[in-house]
Amino acid sequence: MPIHDQSYRHYGGQREPLGRAWLVIVGDGVRTIMRKRAFIGLLLFAWLPFVVRAVQVYLAANYPQMSMLALKADTYREDLEKQGFFVFFITIWVGAGLIANDRRANALQIYLSKPLARAEYIAGKLGILMVFQIMVTWVPSMLLLLLQTLFAGSFDFVSKNLFIIPAITIFSFVQVLAASFTMLALSSLSKSSRFVAILYAGIVFFTQALYGIVYGVTRDSSFSWISFLANLEEVGRLVFRAKMHYDTPWAVSLLAILAIVGVSIVVLERRVRGVEVVK
Amino acid sequence: MSAPPEPNGSRAAVGPVLPGAADGEAEPALSGATVAAGPSAETSPPPEAAGALVASDHLSKWYGQVIGLNDVSVVVPHGITGLLGPNGAGKSTFMKLMTGQLKPSKGTVQVLGEPVWNNPAVFARLGFCPEQDAFYDRMTGREWVTALVRLNGYSEGQAAEAARRALETVDLLDAADRKIGGYSKGMRQRVKLAQALAHDPELLVLDEPLGGMDPIARRKTIRLVREWARQGRSVIVSSHILHEIESMTQNILLINNGRILAEGNVHQIRELIDEHPHTVQILAENPRALARQFLAFDDLLSLKFEEDAVVAQTARPDAFYRRLTELAASGEAGEVREVTSPDDNLQAVFQYLVK
Repeated sequence: MPIHDQSYRHYGGQREPLGRAWLVIVGDGVRTIMRKRAFIGLLLFAWLPFVVRAVQVYLAANYPQMSMLALKADTYREDLEKQGFFVFFITIWVGAGLIANDRRANALQIYLSKPLARAEYIAGKLGILMVFQIMVTWVPSMLLLLLQTLFAGSFDFVSKNLFIIPAITIFSFVQVLAASFTMLALSSLSKSSRFVAILYAGIVFFTQALYGIVYGVTRDSSFSWISFLANLEEVGRLVFRAKMHYDTPWAVSLLAILAIVGVSIVVLERRVRGVEVVK
Repeated sequence: MSAPPEPNGSRAAVGPVLPGAADGEAEPALSGATVAAGPSAETSPPPEAAGALVASDHLSKWYGQVIGLNDVSVVVPHGITGLLGPNGAGKSTFMKLMTGQLKPSKGTVQVLGEPVWNNPAVFARLGFCPEQDAFYDRMTGREWVTALVRLNGYSEGQAAEAARRALETVDLLDAADRKIGGYSKGMRQRVKLAQALAHDPELLVLDEPLGGMDPIARRKTIRLVREWARQGRSVIVSSHILHEIESMTQNILLINNGRILAEGNVHQIRELIDEHPHTVQILAENPRALARQFLAFDDLLSLKFEEDAVVAQTARPDAFYRRLTELAASGEAGEVREVTSPDDNLQAVFQYLVK
């Protein structure tokens, strides 16, 4: 009678190669958020400006007397700036608890005991936030450009404004990356998502208010680098080749944004780790 | 930031310090783990490390000025190994170092023949069950385990099946679709255990896995650990209760103040420990009925009540736990919800050992 081997036999099924676990985090995170009806309502609301613009594009393309409604390249920049309003709310809604909730639940030590590098964990969390932010910035802008081209029946607008596609892409990603990294860093600092949300709102509004006060006193807009939103606006104007709004050199605004992202990465590097055991 | 302090004491002090060791009456070659004695300029693991489960070489971890683990050189063989020490001894630190969650301040640690820090490939071969609760109360047990298994590279279907098997193994399948927030302490322990073993790891690292479990769940978990090892896999389990460790393995590492104090067969220290009263806190539906049953135990030293719990001191923990399990199973004194043991008694033994 054959005697079968009773010793340990390792799992023989297929496994994804290492380095893809962050995609699982993104997928699960996106699904979890999309289960919330109120959030879907916010997303739909964030697409209302797109609907209005789509009607405008249609009218401008089909009725010569409405041609003054035709979109210009700068309209895309203005729209992306306005979408910053929705980016703000989505960042707070989705981002505040991304790491804070894991820290509160002590889940980091479990996550980091799996085949998941810290960088992958952060990439996964960033991915969740960025998916939704891109859905209200880059996606509607590119779709609008596509509609404009289709309704016009020619590539004239795109060929006259060759910078438009890279400009939409760069400005969208600058907005998204700055907001995502800032929020994620703040989320890693606390176990309370509410506190994180307040902190993020505080940073956005406080820096804007501070700049307002400085401007009120000095009447000099070269201090706009103090403001988170003003820096984004300046970079947006740069990539869309529009006239600068503030006296701050664009390089300073860009540096300020890069500094925010850099500091956020340092904070994340220090805060996202297995729980230290001190009794 | 100030530089971390150098570890105090000499490395030569590490090693068996059981009574008799100093006067040449030391136990014969201790089985199981091998503690390296004496300083070494090399940072590579000792030769015994080849094929070892875990091999640490002059491994230290500081938390600022606090030493979590102090110059530990040890080789842990395959099979079940118990890590025994009082709270704050360094058990959790050692476990977090061997599961790659903490970066060593000094020295190296290899698990399954590979360096573990920053090496996710090794993590796929490990299963870690932390001491603290570590989950979202709003998720069901099944959702939580499935989500974690997916991080090991399983597809959704495979992960769901692996999670189901793991939950079945820890006897939690009936409650798998309930929110973790509604789980008892013992169920929470078991769902943590399920996530640790769901991806079929070669090594299970269990940090105080029996804490808070009711007697029946304890017995099942102990059986599970032994069965797991019987299938050729390895387990490192920590506890501050000798009785728990002894029920799973004879091979132990004694750790105290961040250092490996002794290692080898559990029987070598059990007599010492039995000399000290063992305290057990039992959370029960009817503590007074339970206390009445305890009064018939001849090894009972004292009894007191704390809200919904009864705290007993016994001279023979083995017998006490056995009878407590029988009592819980019979239901004569109502439901026994949770059993915990403070480590004062073990601390006393450690103090005695290091004299």
